[in-house]
Amino acid sequence: MEGKPTPADEARRLYEEAEGRTARAMEDLVARDSFGELLAKVTENALAVVKMGSDAADLVVRNLRVAGRRDITGLARQLARTEDKLELVLQEVERLRDAVEAAAPPAKAANGARTRTRNGRRRAGPGS
Amino acid sequence: MSAVEQLSRYPVAAVEFANIILTQGDAPIGVTPKDVVWTHRKTTLYRYRSTQRRHPLPVLLVFALINRPDIFDLRPGHSYVEYLLDEGFDVFLIDWGVPGDEDADMGIDSFVCDELAWGIRETLRASGQEELSLLGWCIGGTLVAMHAAIEERSPARNLVLLTTPVDTSGSLYGSWVARDSFDVDLVAEVLPSIPGAGIDWANKLMKPVTNWWTTYRQLWERVLAGDGRREAYQPMARWVADNPPFPGRAYREWITWMYKENRLVRGTVRLRGRRVDLRQIDQNVLVVTAGADHIAPRPGTLPLLDLVASEDVTHLDRPGGHIGLMAGSKARKEIWPEIAEWLAERSDQ
Repeated sequence: MEGKPTPADEARRLYEEAEGRTARAMEDLVARDSFGELLAKVTENALAVVKMGSDAADLVVRNLRVAGRRDITGLARQLARTEDKLELVLQEVERLRDAVEAAAPPAKAANGARTRTRNGRRRAGPGS
Repeated sequence: MSAVEQLSRYPVAAVEFANIILTQGDAPIGVTPKDVVWTHRKTTLYRYRSTQRRHPLPVLLVFALINRPDIFDLRPGHSYVEYLLDEGFDVFLIDWGVPGDEDADMGIDSFVCDELAWGIRETLRASGQEELSLLGWCIGGTLVAMHAAIEERSPARNLVLLTTPVDTSGSLYGSWVARDSFDVDLVAEVLPSIPGAGIDWANKLMKPVTNWWTTYRQLWERVLAGDGRREAYQPMARWVADNPPFPGRAYREWITWMYKENRLVRGTVRLRGRRVDLRQIDQNVLVVTAGADHIAPRPGTLPLLDLVASEDVTHLDRPGGHIGLMAGSKARKEIWPEIAEWLAERSDQ
């Protein structure tokens, strides 16, 4: 009797076959040009709703004299720009420090001291 | 098992199934010990701790701008980072973090010319080396290729590009977003940072039944059979559900340049005045493609093999999906050793 599928096995096989066919059909559907067009329209509609909701919420918050999302984003952007400038300054400092170290007499470099990196840890080679 | 016994298992299995789904957010991922080497804005450069580094050349892992880079270090026992460390590599990871609305001004140039270039610089400083290997996955691979193409004096000796989109013509995603009616400028204007959930939704829509039904049906069947494999399912499910926003400007440029105008393969992308010409890439290159990749289909990566000027170009085409290739259960025995071997041969002084 071994090898003969039970009704449960048969039901399972039929189900998996149906699921596989549905999956392929859905993949064909989403690959259609008309689906892409529909998706673009749905995206545009969703964006319009988001924009209206966001504008209204921001208006309410501002009229309550509370910092809104735009205000906080503006502040965070200023911080980010400051960090950009700081990073460039730090890189320049490191370049200068490397240049000074390279120009320093070899005795200084031979005493075992290693260059400290910006975040406080030391440069380390493989195995550290 | 009798029908009664089978039926009696259903309530227990239902509770177990719900528990696996509801607690997936608590699954530990990305737990290999690491140190912060450098930070800038939301970007963080990590170095993984190791006591057995044998190859001097550090490896810098670069992931996409969608999803988190934890996929490189999914779970103990099934972590690519752990594997590389065991193989004696000095492993660094650049994590783009979770961009917010204030990062809407970050474009592709910010990631290639600033974040990645500076991450490379800090990797070299921390490792004390003059060269490194770059391993990019998905968009991360494209960013790595762009870096190598514009930086004439890039310190990268080896490039490993995993399922990397280069030519998007004919792709399903392209058929959605490349059309004129998809107004990417409007998207970036309304949403300073594109919600990750929206991008994830679009990715899942490519295989709707598989992603939204079959995954859960298969989990249910395993739970019912007493083999839920919680430790394998939960970390991956957590990673899939963790979708950081995509900075608006970078999204607009990515969609316009890569899908609407297909500029990269044509050599017409410009970053800060410099042309991204893939023919300038002369590093050792390993390109890995996945046969069943529907996000970065194989034909979209292959042009890279002919474009680059490198003398040492290797192509590995393996069965698997966009993520499954590197994170699937077979990866540890199949693709990881191949990549590690390729790197090891090119990572000594």
